[in-house]
Amino acid sequence: MSDTTHSQNLFKRLFGGSGVGTTVLILLVFYVLLLIVFSFLSPFFMTVRNMTSISSNIALIGLMAAAGTPLIIAGGLDLSVAAIAGLTGVIVALLHAAGLPIWIAVLCAVGVAVVIGLVNGVLATYLRLNPLIVTLATMSIVTGVSLILTGGLTKPLSVDGFNWIGQGRVFGIPVPALLMLAVYVALWLMMQKTHFGRHAFAVGGNPDASRLIGLPVDRTQISLYVMSAVSGAIAGTVLAAMLGAAAPNAAGPHLLTVIAAIILGGTSLQGGRGSVWGTLVAVLILGTLNNGLTLMNVTSFWQDVTRGVVLILAVGFDGLRQRMS
Amino acid sequence: MNTTIPRIQMLDIVKSFGTVRVLEGVSLNVMPGEIVALLGSNGAGKSTLMKILTANYTKTSGEIRVNGAVVDFASPRDAARVGITFLPQEISVFPELNIAENICLNAESTGAVNWADIARRARLVLDDLGFGHLAPETLVADLPVAERRIIEIARALESQTDILVMDEPTASLSEQESAQIFTILRRLKERGTSIVYISHYLKEVFEISDRIVVLRDGLNAGEFDPFTAQVTDVVNAMLGKVAGAMFEDRAPLPKEAPVVFSCNNLSLPGEIQDVSFELHAGEILGVFGLIGSGVEVLGRLIFGAKGQPAAGRMTLSGKPYQPVSALKGKEAGIGFVTAERKTDGIMTDMSVRENLVAAFQRDFGSGPFTSPERETAHTLDWIAKLGIKTSGPEQTIRLLSGGNQQKVCVARWLNPKVKMLILEEPTRGVDVGARREIYSHLVDFARSGLAVLVLSSDVEEIAGLSDRSLVIDRGRILAEFNSGATANDLMSASAQPVNQT
Repeated sequence: MSDTTHSQNLFKRLFGGSGVGTTVLILLVFYVLLLIVFSFLSPFFMTVRNMTSISSNIALIGLMAAAGTPLIIAGGLDLSVAAIAGLTGVIVALLHAAGLPIWIAVLCAVGVAVVIGLVNGVLATYLRLNPLIVTLATMSIVTGVSLILTGGLTKPLSVDGFNWIGQGRVFGIPVPALLMLAVYVALWLMMQKTHFGRHAFAVGGNPDASRLIGLPVDRTQISLYVMSAVSGAIAGTVLAAMLGAAAPNAAGPHLLTVIAAIILGGTSLQGGRGSVWGTLVAVLILGTLNNGLTLMNVTSFWQDVTRGVVLILAVGFDGLRQRMS
Repeated sequence: MNTTIPRIQMLDIVKSFGTVRVLEGVSLNVMPGEIVALLGSNGAGKSTLMKILTANYTKTSGEIRVNGAVVDFASPRDAARVGITFLPQEISVFPELNIAENICLNAESTGAVNWADIARRARLVLDDLGFGHLAPETLVADLPVAERRIIEIARALESQTDILVMDEPTASLSEQESAQIFTILRRLKERGTSIVYISHYLKEVFEISDRIVVLRDGLNAGEFDPFTAQVTDVVNAMLGKVAGAMFEDRAPLPKEAPVVFSCNNLSLPGEIQDVSFELHAGEILGVFGLIGSGVEVLGRLIFGAKGQPAAGRMTLSGKPYQPVSALKGKEAGIGFVTAERKTDGIMTDMSVRENLVAAFQRDFGSGPFTSPERETAHTLDWIAKLGIKTSGPEQTIRLLSGGNQQKVCVARWLNPKVKMLILEEPTRGVDVGARREIYSHLVDFARSGLAVLVLSSDVEEIAGLSDRSLVIDRGRILAEFNSGATANDLMSASAQPVNQT
């Protein structure tokens, strides 16, 4: 075996099968270019201070996009994840205000997320409803419930030890970033090394074949809906700890960025293809783009336009590349 | 003198898919007002030839003339413009639209819909076909299958079709309904429409066609006049001498083999009625049926992919068995190889290894983790045993030929836990070489103790492969044959008229 094929194998092992590795590689190159361009354009960009500040924001998006990736690979879709993040903060703040210990409150909020995930999963699999509609509906319900519970107000949430999750540092690296990295490593192990992960790829790649092979199609998808909801809850906890407050709709505006990151990262909406590393790099790109443009005094209105253009360019290029090969 | 020019001339048509040649130089002429029956076994090239005519496929070489002029269509729409319409086996109508809309809908319609006009045009065409009693406002969803087929033909007429290609137009119809279709075809013929009629039903072909053209293995295998030709001559032309060489001599059936599977009065409303049989260890039981006969349902029903049957008692390995789901079927010891590899057989983007171990993946891992090393060893073992042509276990299965994909789909179930293997159309879309190999492997697996149930619409396959065979039609078992039954025996058994429907 020649040297090049060996390094290709190594690469494939790192970034997951199905040719998604190449997409991740292209994204990485694009990310590095972005870093180079912005460090020329703005002297503040490549500072430790700036880098740590964007990493917390990136971590928030990253955590919400984390379990959404395996879910889309398995042929599902979850639009309720950002709403769940909002509700989580609200539940934690209210239960804590009612006198419950903070970590018990967090546990309760995660429990609620599990239930929402189960509802999403059961409706989308056993009842064969379109996941787009199902999770759009739960998103609306969950957002509404958050607003009802708080009366639309932001609840303060300042607890020693708890806020560390959002604001603390370990060796200078923000805790949210470390948490995100841990979640991605765990998901990567799950997708590449376990039977469950293999089933997720199979179920998304060809649900009919998977059923006829006797794979647990519905069970796999439901588990992933639950995981997606839980990753929303983790993001919500981090967000509340970061802000020192629970705002019912704090995470809502990030939903489109989350979905955009998953698609940009090479995960196919048709299912069966994708990798969590692709999503991570895409989150880095979108976060860096935001930050760089802000530093260059581009208004947030133009940032929206730029993000859309980058998305079309990246996905278009990848589509073209795959059709060529 | 115009009438002496054929409506269609296809000359020396060659078609290759990659390295596989499907058509090796086929010629076909159709005169105006002529009904030509196109016959051939599965894989003979009938559908490919017709898809080339209708520009669904591009030809590798050869020439097509319509009314004497050379044509080279870029898309099916170009073919439609010169009046060629293809009616596929599955009836394609819009059930939620009414008859008039279904008939008058075509690619050229633009602007607002003139309801009075389309109703008038629809009535005209229906009158012409002798179905003036159908009201243009009726929703197509409310029509029986046969009348939907008629709507489809009416649509073709409305768009000025003068070359109609039909693939098994009577496959899901009763005999009376088929007779209706024939009446229409005769009317079309009088109007000068040329018809190419693909069918497996020999009886029909002799009844309706003016000329029979037989293809075999991508070549013309003979032309017959239905008024003078003998059925056996046509069948011989279809089957050729290949059958003998396809199937090798095999070890005799084991004496006193235990019953692995039995079913009594198995029924699924509208699809399977009162099916009973026994399957022994070491035996290959073949079920032959034409498309729409229930042959494509029976295997799935037993495996569990159709959910619970309405009625029937079954045993598997001596224990009572009730189909529930594919997962439960697998756990009970049944393996199932589907007819449609692409749609429900393989995970196209996954590797040969991942596809091959998919059914019993947990046997190779430890706890929740997979073991790619052990999977690779297992895959390499089967690649060698079955002669699967692949660059290695990590190759994407999509890049393999149909025959090699099929070997992977079979190997997937070769696990000691599987006592009974059900195969649907085991060699559909598989080239001749791989087909022979698959047959010989299936015999080996059976003789080593597996019970094998093969369901197929390929009559030679069932005749050559089975130790015992059943013939199914309209969901019922019509006949049982012991080893040595010929394709002719099976085919004529399936063509018996049914008294009760």
